[in-house]
Amino acid sequence: MNTIIKSPLALAITAALTTTVLPSYAQEDAVKIVQGKCLACHTEENQAAPQWSRISHQRKTPEGWLMTIGRMQMMHGLQISDDDRATVVKYLADRQGLAPEETSTYRYAMERRLDTMESFEDSQFEEMCARCHSGARVGLQRRPAAEWEHLVHFHLGQWPSTEYQALARDRDWFPIALNEMVPKLSKMFPMDSNSWDQWQSAAKPDFVGQWSFAVHQPGRGDGSGLMTITQQAGDRYSVSMEGTWADGTPLKGSGTAIVYTGFEWRAEIDLGGVITRQVLAASKDGMNLSGRVFEAAHDERGMEFSAAKATTGNHQIVAVYPQNLKAGESTEVTIVGTGLKGRVSLGNGVSVEKVLKRTYNSVTVLAKADANATTSANSVTVGGVNGGQFAVYNKVDSIKVQPAFTIARVGGNGGSTPKVQARFEAEAWGAGADGKPGTEDDIRIGYLPASWHVEPFDEAARADNDVYFAGRMDATSGVFTPGNAGPNPERRMSTNNAGNLKVVASVKDGDQTLQGDGQLIVTVQRWNDAPLP
Amino acid sequence: MNNKNKMRKTLRSLMAGAGILGATLTSGVTYADAPEKVGPALKAGQEYMVVANYPNQIHVLDLQTDSLLKTCKVPGAYGPGVLQVAPDKKTVYMLTNHYEDVYGINVDDCSISFHTTFSDRQNSVRTKSLFSMALSPDGKELYVMHNPTKLNRDHYRVQDTYLAVYNTADGKGAKPVRTFPAPRQVTVMATGKDGGLYMAGADIYKMDVKTGKYDVHLPSRNWERPLYVQPDVLNAWPIQTPSKDFTILYTTARFQDEKQDLATADWIYGYLNVDLETGETETTDFGPITEIYFTGMKSPKDPNLVFGVLNRLAKYDVKQQKLIKAAELDHSYYCIAMNHDGSKVYLGGTYDDVAIYDADSMEKLGNIKLPGGDMAISTSQVFIR
Repeated sequence: MNTIIKSPLALAITAALTTTVLPSYAQEDAVKIVQGKCLACHTEENQAAPQWSRISHQRKTPEGWLMTIGRMQMMHGLQISDDDRATVVKYLADRQGLAPEETSTYRYAMERRLDTMESFEDSQFEEMCARCHSGARVGLQRRPAAEWEHLVHFHLGQWPSTEYQALARDRDWFPIALNEMVPKLSKMFPMDSNSWDQWQSAAKPDFVGQWSFAVHQPGRGDGSGLMTITQQAGDRYSVSMEGTWADGTPLKGSGTAIVYTGFEWRAEIDLGGVITRQVLAASKDGMNLSGRVFEAAHDERGMEFSAAKATTGNHQIVAVYPQNLKAGESTEVTIVGTGLKGRVSLGNGVSVEKVLKRTYNSVTVLAKADANATTSANSVTVGGVNGGQFAVYNKVDSIKVQPAFTIARVGGNGGSTPKVQARFEAEAWGAGADGKPGTEDDIRIGYLPASWHVEPFDEAARADNDVYFAGRMDATSGVFTPGNAGPNPERRMSTNNAGNLKVVASVKDGDQTLQGDGQLIVTVQRWNDAPLP
Repeated sequence: MNNKNKMRKTLRSLMAGAGILGATLTSGVTYADAPEKVGPALKAGQEYMVVANYPNQIHVLDLQTDSLLKTCKVPGAYGPGVLQVAPDKKTVYMLTNHYEDVYGINVDDCSISFHTTFSDRQNSVRTKSLFSMALSPDGKELYVMHNPTKLNRDHYRVQDTYLAVYNTADGKGAKPVRTFPAPRQVTVMATGKDGGLYMAGADIYKMDVKTGKYDVHLPSRNWERPLYVQPDVLNAWPIQTPSKDFTILYTTARFQDEKQDLATADWIYGYLNVDLETGETETTDFGPITEIYFTGMKSPKDPNLVFGVLNRLAKYDVKQQKLIKAAELDHSYYCIAMNHDGSKVYLGGTYDDVAIYDADSMEKLGNIKLPGGDMAISTSQVFIR
């Protein structure tokens, strides 16, 4: 059937929300481009206050608008330059975007957290929509009933097999889609909303200035620094990052950014020679910036990013690392935030021996845990500012592998799709007052170094020797690199190097070694790699 | 061929199967005047098998020698490769060009005797058919289910599905001579000896192809079997069986009692069957679900034997509802076929080889390697000229 494919165009689209060139982005230009490019098919409903059929009756994220125009290019013969497309995406995302709270449930899709396991209470929504693509793709759109109806017709018209597939062939799919899903979706995700009305008239965050940031990357650790944002023109910015990883390696780079809809930050940063993308959201008050940063060519290699604006009156802690300290031991602890003045407290059982380094935006101290400290998760304060957590422990009682379930994808081997790795961390827990691990009162100690290996998840995986074929786990970093793509004649039935693996973390704590496990599915390539999964 | 080359080639064909090569809409069709190499004509009384694969071709296999006899090229793009053999046992009809065209190919000389393209480009209606194609018992009419979509300038409107009747004698550029409203979600079809058209959708309907009147002939989604849940039916392969059975596999669950506890229910494989000679129907469980089969068929030799295939080839004793034997396969196969005496099973679909198994011992007898690429979801058919 007419599948959207991973063509060079599709690849370019995935990367298109930040460009190194500078299109005009002026509103009048966008209107002219729409009039010149889109009216071959769309109708101009109002010229003075620009309004066009279909286009003006939907609201979407920047990624959503990009996908729409990309689809027009791939399926409907639209010829448009990258610059013009960027101008139209910007115009539409600003004019018909989503308010911050309308995106909050589904940000994982924009942030390219492609191993997210979605779960919806509404099984009909899941079966009718999230059967083929993420539910987030739907949840990040707003339409009136007439436009949801158009979407149903588009789906079945473009992919006629939709009503023949599993979970469709057992029901009257088309009547259900029209008569039940259209009203449901127009209620769940309506075109008109108070949030959007209010956001349009609200004062928008000011991005210009310095931001104190912290990052955490599985397999790499923590880092922090300052991100400086200067305005180029309108909603376009220059960005420079100056910081260090916890091990002292520089965390430094520069690039450009665009802000959509007043709060959606999309940047492309050359971070030490690696091109990364930032998909961040500013808080409504403009004091925080958070989301995910990932490698452009490997979006599974990403880091959590949180930042506080380093400005007068903003006092915040955004991160504390490392996350824990064993009784009787000492370590350097870094607290990242802004407006950090005054005494540092890491809670009961931990003494702050010495302040090693102090700026307005971070404090590094030498901390010592009492030899007889018991396990507790402490609040951190600097002067009058609370935030973050620091655990002290005398004994680790259990280990959880994070994520508990994820995927890797085979790749390479001459194919068009690179391998997708998986990364794990070992999260230590104390048993709490009841002494039993796995109960409500467990105390999160946080991440600890571990030794990693994989085992067959079940008997079928053992019989098919998945451990041998599916890839290799790095024992130190917890990074799993999957096997080559393509049918493997050495395997039973020449199958791919797919596998079902148990991921085991072994953590040493004093004389004891604790283990925790998670599940890793090594699967085939993602061929249809749209900006929103 | 060394392994590396084989891998590369197989990878390519798999990618093609997954739709990686994309879709191009052919606006005009050019027919080759003289097929470059047509191979020998078929011999009366001999048994053959036809199967299709990428780039868009039909292979005729000689089942006396279990070898490739010839290959006929078909215009347009491949997919889905549903084949129906005409009663003359000479013309093979192929649903292809991304579900939008049917070609009738004379496999004696590889010439095109029939072609229709469903879509009406002038009126912006794009029409596809999802595996639904059958021929009248005299071969004079071709029945195709049409799934049209009106492509308006800035929006689509899915239209009602309908049955289109073609005169096969209309040759190239044929247009429907009659159309009748028909239910959505029909996948495979077959005609009975009396000329009635069986259409498998939510239920199996029977249509009078003169009047368009249809009724439920054998219920499936709407069956009333106490303690059974509604079945799930996957069917994209309209297999013309030597036993003249129209057989469709289902999976279902049967509760132990009125409490309807799924945890203790039996999970069951079964088949719906229409005897195309008599119109008689069966709804028969044949075993517990232990694995999935894409296609299955009754043995032409012994109707108590049912074979199923996907990741294994399995043989069931229907009366005892028991798996007799299962054969491991070199790779997945989608489409099953058997020769007329019921002694051999031929597995096609996916990859580019047909595997042959002994129906009694379930031992592998060999493979027939096909030129070209992946068969994908092609329907293979066995017939005697």
